[in-house]
Amino acid sequence: MAVIRGTKPTRAVLIGLKRRMKVAQTGHSLLKMKRDGLMIEFFEVLNKAKSVRAELVEALIKSEQRLNMAKAIEGTVAINSVAYALQKEPTIELESRNIMGVVVPKITADSVQKKMYERGYGIIGTSAAIDEAAESFETLVDKIVLAAEVETAMIRLVEDIDSTKRRVNALEFKVIPDIKDTIKFIGMSLEEMERDNVVKLKMLKGKAERLAAEEEAKKLKEAAEAASAEVAPPVTA
Amino acid sequence: MPVLRLPKFGKPVKYAYITGRVRAMKTKLIPAEMYPRMMSMDISEIARYLEETQYKDEIDALSKDYSGTELIEHATFSNLAKTYRKLGEVAIDEPRFLILEYLRRWDIWNIKTVLRGKFYGASDAEIMKYLVPAGELDVEFLDGLTKKDSIQDVISAFDGTDYASALSQYDGKSLATEENALDKLYYFRMERAVGGTLSVGGGLLLKYVRREIDIRNLITLFRMNRAGVEANIIQDNLIPGGKLHDELSRMAGQPFGEFLRSLEGYPFWSSISDIATADVQEISRIEARLKAYLIRYAWALSNYHPLSILPVLGYMVSKETEVSNIRKIVRGKEAGLPAELIEEQVVVA
Repeated sequence: MAVIRGTKPTRAVLIGLKRRMKVAQTGHSLLKMKRDGLMIEFFEVLNKAKSVRAELVEALIKSEQRLNMAKAIEGTVAINSVAYALQKEPTIELESRNIMGVVVPKITADSVQKKMYERGYGIIGTSAAIDEAAESFETLVDKIVLAAEVETAMIRLVEDIDSTKRRVNALEFKVIPDIKDTIKFIGMSLEEMERDNVVKLKMLKGKAERLAAEEEAKKLKEAAEAASAEVAPPVTA
Repeated sequence: MPVLRLPKFGKPVKYAYITGRVRAMKTKLIPAEMYPRMMSMDISEIARYLEETQYKDEIDALSKDYSGTELIEHATFSNLAKTYRKLGEVAIDEPRFLILEYLRRWDIWNIKTVLRGKFYGASDAEIMKYLVPAGELDVEFLDGLTKKDSIQDVISAFDGTDYASALSQYDGKSLATEENALDKLYYFRMERAVGGTLSVGGGLLLKYVRREIDIRNLITLFRMNRAGVEANIIQDNLIPGGKLHDELSRMAGQPFGEFLRSLEGYPFWSSISDIATADVQEISRIEARLKAYLIRYAWALSNYHPLSILPVLGYMVSKETEVSNIRKIVRGKEAGLPAELIEEQVVVA
């Protein structure tokens, strides 16, 4: 039996504990529901993350292949030269959204996918291999941004599931049993105290009765002695 | 467009000397049968093989700065620049003029690289690494250009030259318009320069230049039509001149399938017909075929008149193709690209 330390076995504490018990049980069932909800949400995000990750890997392989192809066709000298012409670097915008109380990021990328003639280099002096490499890397950046959003959401959900699980377990295996035990302990203590009081009262009552009887007996004795003194004749010599 | 004033040359134009030099230089080119062997070598073996060829000096000189594929790429570019400069030095009169006009594409390349580097904010040394001084602009001038503080300073360095009008199109936001203007200027000059020659082979060289313009425009059409770009934007990116300019210009903005159908019957169609389909994923394959077609056309022309500019053109194209083939093999092997893919890109006579 694990009784909450420093608990005074009083009726007021018992009432307080019973109120806490009710709150803990409601919290426990709510957290359990939250945990289950988060788990469902997590599996949905997990499936999405898996497919996004697969797409990301595919895009990465394709981009590397195309870059290697462009390097082979045009040479790194040309690729580096063209890369310098990049007009605008992509930016990202961070917002947040709420999944069952868990704040997850919403990332929007800007200026990633560009039209061929908006990449900053002249069309005439460059080649299709460079376009293809640039285009596949633009797609890759988009996939990375999407993967970052989904995977961060997944990590946040896992963290929240973990903490919710810890709370549920703490309530289920520690807080509620402790309160239960303490309530039981206080109940027993109070009963014990009651029994103690009864015994004490009984003892007091017995003592009082004994005193009263003694008093009565003393009075009777004195009365008897007085009566015998009045009845007896005087002795003459 | 700027008006190009052609120099006047005395007659007869001296081609015997330069073609003789070119014939001698041609013997140093890597023979066609070496490419399949290079495909089966690893990168260090290729580097060792190149050390036995004309690339030895460059490989030795650059081996302290680069290694592996980087070394081979920079060494081959460096050798290309040296060879082209040598051609310009040994030629006189009209051949020299035409060679320098042809090599101006490297000047354009270098100007574009310097501008891009300045636009990005790269260091002088970094920009210098990517320059190929194979044209008229020498290393000292290019070094001075890279040391300029801003793009405007670089542009000002060309005040009073034909490049000034193209460079003035820089709007401060993007280099694309300016780069296109430089490329258009190059082909404008080339077409006018070749068109002004009266020597034997001049007509065929003009035919080649026009075909090159057509092929470049065709590649632009393939790239932009596939991406669904509007017709007027595509037309802005086409090089004026060439034999088929009007016909190609009309194809701008066409749906891709229709565009492919309208190409049937042209001389270049047979070289791309098997891969040019409506669902083609990689335009770079079509581009490679078209470039190979152009190279083969230059090689075919080079045999027409032995004492003309044509053998020189054939050599310059061969040299550039050789450098490109080596790079494709080495880079392809480094990246682990399939052998068929590399073979498809390598152009052999």
